[in-house]
Amino acid sequence: MTLVVGFAPDGRGRGVLHLAAMLARSTGDDLVVCAVIPAPWPPSPARVDAEWRAEVEHLANDALDRARERLPEDIPARYLIHHARSAPAGLLEVAEEHEANVLVTGPMGSTTGRLLHTSPVPVAIAPRGFRCPPDARVTRVTAAYAGADDDLVVAAAAVAARVGASLRIASFAVRARPPYTSGVGRTADDAMLADWVREIESAARSTLETVGHLPAAPRALEAVVGHGESWEEALEDVEWHDGDVLVVGSSAAGPLARVFLGSRASKIVRHSPVPAVVVPRGVAVELAEEAAAPA
Amino acid sequence: MASLGEQFLRRKPVGVMAEETGADTEGGELKRTITLFQLSLFGIGATIGTGIFIVLTEAVPIAGPAVVFSFVFAGVVAGLTAICYAELASAVPVSGSSYSYAYATMGEGIAMIVAACLLLEYGVSAAAVAVGWSQYLNELLDNLFGFTIPESISNAPEADGVINLPAIVLIVLCAALLMRGASESAKVNAVMVLIKIGVLVLFIAVGLTGWSSDNLSDFTPFGVNGITSAAGIIFFSYIGLDAVSTAGEEVHNPRRNLPLAIITALIVVTSIYLLVALVAVAAQPLAGFEGQEAGLSAILESVTGSSWPASVLAAGAVISIFSVTLVVIYGQTRILFAMARDGMIPPFFHRLNPRTLTPVPATIVVAVLISLLAGLLPINFLAEMTSIGTLVAFLIVSIGVMVLRRTAPDLPRGFRVPLYPIVPLASIAGCIWIIQDLRAVTIYVFFGWSAVALVWYFFYGRHHSLLGRSSP
Repeated sequence: MTLVVGFAPDGRGRGVLHLAAMLARSTGDDLVVCAVIPAPWPPSPARVDAEWRAEVEHLANDALDRARERLPEDIPARYLIHHARSAPAGLLEVAEEHEANVLVTGPMGSTTGRLLHTSPVPVAIAPRGFRCPPDARVTRVTAAYAGADDDLVVAAAAVAARVGASLRIASFAVRARPPYTSGVGRTADDAMLADWVREIESAARSTLETVGHLPAAPRALEAVVGHGESWEEALEDVEWHDGDVLVVGSSAAGPLARVFLGSRASKIVRHSPVPAVVVPRGVAVELAEEAAAPA
Repeated sequence: MASLGEQFLRRKPVGVMAEETGADTEGGELKRTITLFQLSLFGIGATIGTGIFIVLTEAVPIAGPAVVFSFVFAGVVAGLTAICYAELASAVPVSGSSYSYAYATMGEGIAMIVAACLLLEYGVSAAAVAVGWSQYLNELLDNLFGFTIPESISNAPEADGVINLPAIVLIVLCAALLMRGASESAKVNAVMVLIKIGVLVLFIAVGLTGWSSDNLSDFTPFGVNGITSAAGIIFFSYIGLDAVSTAGEEVHNPRRNLPLAIITALIVVTSIYLLVALVAVAAQPLAGFEGQEAGLSAILESVTGSSWPASVLAAGAVISIFSVTLVVIYGQTRILFAMARDGMIPPFFHRLNPRTLTPVPATIVVAVLISLLAGLLPINFLAEMTSIGTLVAFLIVSIGVMVLRRTAPDLPRGFRVPLYPIVPLASIAGCIWIIQDLRAVTIYVFFGWSAVALVWYFFYGRHHSLLGRSSP
């Protein structure tokens, strides 16, 4: 099993390495740390770009050297430079070549954004400025839950059980209060919201029951609901600690096993205070089936 | 402190170049994997297109139907220079542009002049093709939607406009793509070449129906002078052939295959150009060419009386010229990068954006300058300026080949010019012949530009040269 880590050739992105190390230590996977640089350009007239290409390669090598220094020594890792037309395309090529099960990237930006929409494998995203101690492990997996994504929760439970972490289901009740001028009062929606929360709580309980009967269940289970007027507030409303990882499913099913990130999922990823793993629907279903099968 | 002469002639050691470009000098040889066929195709793809879309309008009024001879003449000179360039390139076992080769073989000052020629060639040809693009865009818009961009904002001041806005938009667009790190895959490049060849074949086939021998009755109205003058403008359509020269190290049996590939590419490209030119001058009376915009499209339209072949051609031109502009601006910024790395121009030009790894500051400067050229100068001037930059660069290369045979006879060369010294001498003579027939203003501007480059070298380059600073 392999985790492919995208490391920007500018040498920033320490958070990516911290996250990759934490995940690799928990799952026992190898790392492939990869710097993607622009591919040689066939139509370049008379190779005018030789000097520039050499410089770019040099920068990427420096970046990989820095990555090598920063990664804890107990993590087996390979380092490589990959030429591609764009960073996301390059990472996907490397992921396919090494049969990666997870792609690890930095905070939401153009590269991560594109990966979320195109990656056939789960993408782990280090939040901005993410740091963890050199011996950190994943201790709790939190599955973002909106009532109908049992597969995702079961998949998350299977992974949590494998790495010895506990499982938590988190739902997020985000409701912006209506403006004063709407004339219906600022609390008009509260009753509806309360209903939704009751429903989601009972759904979560039954999902947790399913998880409890899995052949390999995580060591502890709980369900929480975060409230807030924005996604940021709702995410902060539940408590987080070191070793937490948030798992988010793709919200759209499609014939292609790709991540099509709905607005809900992308907002959760953007505001998550802990590393988030976005799991394409196809992968979640596969993992859930595997987990449910008697060992 | 080294004397000016020593500075001017100091050469960049090949070992340093190899180190910089990461080439392995020990086991030195690249795999010889390119066949004659592949290399010929490569040369055809790199050469064909663009120029032919715009040069007829400028060249036919100078030479008349005899413009077909101008194509042959320009093609022969281009072939001779390409063969000479191949020897120079093969003497330096790492890849680079003719600037890098000149630096390693002929010295810093000469390299500066070659660089000035290259910058002129790339900068001005990007502007020229962008102006051509704006003409074909207008033609396409007119045919499809009956709408044209007003003259005042789609023409240079000398051509009754104020500024050529579409050309500027194209350049800014290309620069923006390049700053983001866009590149063209081999597949896209192949498609572009097919589009170019496709529309030229379309032109030949459809244009033949308008053949009128009357138009050819006065075949050489302006004599030999007209033919050579037109060759100066036409030379522009052979730029790219030199790309073949740099493949010396990767081709099987370079001594045989390199010249053969250059000649094969040249014959194919020249044949297509000749047919296009012949069909054009037979289909349209001489007077029609002067000042004609989007020439090939316009001829098709008047021949067929319907607009669809013209629209197809214009669409092909709009797509393929876009890709050419992208490639040329890319080349321009990478040459500046190499020069800045050597300390010949300020380090500003080799600053890379840390995320995209592209030389963003250089791209912005280049885009602004090319936009000004494209927006404000007429196309015939731009085409001539491109040609003179290329011609002088290769004139220097051809002289350099002869000088090096004397000064460094033992330098290992992967490829030697056949029929020495006839080929380099013919190449030198051809270049000079074409240059002296260019318009006076072109030659003056070129000398002005070279003087600026030399003054720059005198006050900046020779003091900041990395080579000079590392060996005091």
